[in-house]
Amino acid sequence: MSIAAPSTQRNTFTGWLLAPGVFWMILFLVAPIMMIVYVSFWTQTTFAINSTLTLDSWKNFFSSEAYVGALWTTLRLWLIVLALTFIIGYPAALFVGLLVKSKTVSTILLVLCVIPFWTSFLIRVLAWRPMLGKEGAINIILQKLGLIDSPIEVLLFSELSVIIGMTQIYVVFMVGPIAFMLGRIDRNIIEAARDLGAGFGRIFWKIIFPLSLPGVVVGAIFVSVMVLGEFATSGALSGRKVNLLGNIIVTQVGSLKWAMASVVGVILTILLGIVVAGFLRIVDLKSEL
Amino acid sequence: MESKALKPILAVYVAAFILFLYGPFIVLGILSFQQGPEGGPQFPIIDWSTYWYRHLFGLTPPSRIAPLPVGEALLRSLTLAFMTMVTATVLGVMAAQAFRRRFRGAGIVFYLIVLGMMVPGVLTGLGTSLLANNVVGVERHWWTTAFVAHVVYTFPFAFLVMLAILNRFDGSVEEAAWSLGVSPARTFRKVTFPLIFPGVLSAMLFAFTLSFDEFPRTLFASGRDQTLPLAIYGTFSVEIHPNIFAFGVMTTLFSFSLLAVYGILMGLSVRRAKKIAMQEDIA
Amino acid sequence: MVQSESIFRLDGVTRRFGALTALDDITFEAPQNEYISLLGPSGAGKTSLLRVIAGFESPDVGRIHFLGRDITDLPAHKRGIGFVFQNFALFPHLTVFENIAFGLRNGIDDIADAQIGDRVREMVDLVGLSGLEDRVPDQISGGQKQRVALARTLVMQPKLVLLDEPLGALDANLRGRMQTELRQIRERLNVTFLHVTGSETEALAMGDTVAVLDRGRIIQSGTPEQIHDTPSSSDVALFLNRFNLFDGKLSADAFHGPFGPVPAANVCQNPTDIYAIRYDRTKAFRKGDTLPGPALPARFLASEYLGSSVISFFETADHKQVEVDHHLSFGDPDNYKVGEEYVLSWDPRHAIVFGQEAAA
Repeated sequence: MSIAAPSTQRNTFTGWLLAPGVFWMILFLVAPIMMIVYVSFWTQTTFAINSTLTLDSWKNFFSSEAYVGALWTTLRLWLIVLALTFIIGYPAALFVGLLVKSKTVSTILLVLCVIPFWTSFLIRVLAWRPMLGKEGAINIILQKLGLIDSPIEVLLFSELSVIIGMTQIYVVFMVGPIAFMLGRIDRNIIEAARDLGAGFGRIFWKIIFPLSLPGVVVGAIFVSVMVLGEFATSGALSGRKVNLLGNIIVTQVGSLKWAMASVVGVILTILLGIVVAGFLRIVDLKSEL
Repeated sequence: MESKALKPILAVYVAAFILFLYGPFIVLGILSFQQGPEGGPQFPIIDWSTYWYRHLFGLTPPSRIAPLPVGEALLRSLTLAFMTMVTATVLGVMAAQAFRRRFRGAGIVFYLIVLGMMVPGVLTGLGTSLLANNVVGVERHWWTTAFVAHVVYTFPFAFLVMLAILNRFDGSVEEAAWSLGVSPARTFRKVTFPLIFPGVLSAMLFAFTLSFDEFPRTLFASGRDQTLPLAIYGTFSVEIHPNIFAFGVMTTLFSFSLLAVYGILMGLSVRRAKKIAMQEDIA
Repeated sequence: MVQSESIFRLDGVTRRFGALTALDDITFEAPQNEYISLLGPSGAGKTSLLRVIAGFESPDVGRIHFLGRDITDLPAHKRGIGFVFQNFALFPHLTVFENIAFGLRNGIDDIADAQIGDRVREMVDLVGLSGLEDRVPDQISGGQKQRVALARTLVMQPKLVLLDEPLGALDANLRGRMQTELRQIRERLNVTFLHVTGSETEALAMGDTVAVLDRGRIIQSGTPEQIHDTPSSSDVALFLNRFNLFDGKLSADAFHGPFGPVPAANVCQNPTDIYAIRYDRTKAFRKGDTLPGPALPARFLASEYLGSSVISFFETADHKQVEVDHHLSFGDPDNYKVGEEYVLSWDPRHAIVFGQEAAA
């Protein structure tokens, strides 16, 4: 019986432990994405596609106002939602991560933020309908308060409702990482700065914000990846008025236009790559985390 | 001073923020008790009733509003989530175990796995169905293509949870077992696994809940038979009724009971150790 | 080389971690049925050596023989070598009884429950753990954990047990008691213990054989007396922490130190010229007393009472600290005055001289 040296034996063992997971990801993640790129060059006929390579679908995409418009809508909504999650999320993170002295209270607040995630994503989207509708809660409250005479109609089935819905759903992904980074700041630094006579504004911009930046970047990556790949929120809250790249993919697949769906898929992939790489350039996460 | 005023202002702000997170759901919960079958999915509440909950379970007389097609979908979703949970956790534990030793290409493998949770569901869903339809030529089902895509999505979560657990794991207990003549395989079963079990439980919880609620991948990859999120999505396009709100409340309660089971299982191991300690104190 | 008398033998064992060489071409033969202590400063490679013998790591070069058999390529669980960890590494989820029974229950051989019970109980009695069988490791003290770790290993009846600083995690009081117990247990069971320690007192007190490890090499091995009385190099003398060491220059049978030229009879080969005299051979005299040998003026700093002896610290003109160990069986020590000048001296025959050019 020949026995391999223990180190080689262990190396083979490591290989066997990794093999199933790695193969799974290559077969069912890398290969499908490659497939999207490949199929985007296939020839589309009315009811079928064949693997004759062509640029037709690409040309179609860039010559169609609706498709290019979807690209701009996606970019616009992404920037708006990203900005809103940051503006709304940062103060909350500042309170939870830094200003709350007790660890327990801070944990409770974070858990409170996470609990809604145990409700189905689609239900959470749907919950905005009775909130924003013409006879929805917000309009009723505003009318009762006498602030408006007739219900605001643009609240639901508009770009606004999609923005509100996405901001609410994704803001927690911004709060979490920022609160985490703020929680790691050594309070003594802030005390020391205060002793030296620095006001809160100065301390915030010189110390707190730079130290929380990695959290902002991680949060921004989370939010970007999810918003750019969205289609359900826009589908459910815009009444088909807002079409994102994701919605185009869904409708194209629905009508068996696989090649066009793939073109949009490739564009989405490139977009994601640029956005994520861009954020990673701001902060070197490996050294920060 | 500014900073003195800042804290109470932010406290009020955070309260408003949490209201923003919960607001829609509170409204949805209230409206689920709307009178039926005439009452619509909006205010005002005509009369309080549990009609829509009874409607959900088919306990109401037939009306023009069809019951939600959730029965079979629920069963499918539970089965799918269970299959995904088992596969993703096994893969996650194995991969994390491999990462305890340094090996060449560890960085690439790490990113390959984590990519699964970063790539948006539309893309994985589209790619998987392209591959199934146009290359392999298999029909899409929730238990084949959708299952595969669910594992791609949940395996990274299980992997990261296990990685965090194993980072803190002291390997000398395993070496101790080997030096007692116990094979590595049996050592894993008798020593490593029991000790990392709380982590495994967390990984399972992650995988199950993520898969149970998964929507974009399933939409593309699941073919004819609907899972629960697909059944809900189907009601979006048609007129909605408060029965979907009642259903939302029910699924949330289900999620919480799952969370409670997890909490109990976690607490049990801690309590068992404490119990022995207490008996010792009495003795 | 007589194989049957050695329990294990290392042939040119080398282990590197990147640029660091933890074990540097170690060749060593360990006698059977003995208590072997392996002494070395931290970072000397002690733990690496144990881990290589146990099979947790494999050497880059070299072979390991155990009971006459080459085990270099054998995985740890097939070696039959016991290992006691510094942090004990008890199974936290199992009771004391199950910790001890673990190897019997999960090993390759099927052993009947009744027999397991007997052997575990026997071991529990041997190490003095009766009454604690149902506790879990979190509920017992450090010394008890140590006994569980030992019992768990010994119940497997290994021929060789490796102990990695087994007393390091215990308080001083307990350490002394465990030293005697470990020796007694070993003698009763006829197994070889290889005990790694950074403490020279522990190594000398416990070992039948003491091996000194430095920078990945075994620089001396022998009986405690041999090591103690005739360290083979100035490094060994330094680790023993029992010698005053003086730098100087060796030339033609004389050592030129801070105490002037002294005749050097026996010179050991060493990379540097060093003069060593044991603490208990060094004596302090008042000015004008007759001296047994060289004269080294020094100022008294302080003294420390150690129960059986008193250690006095002196400082020479060039700020070197010199220790004088006075055993109380030789009568009460003199009362030295702090800051006062005294003369240190010794019988030059007791000194060991290390030199680059060993006398022929």
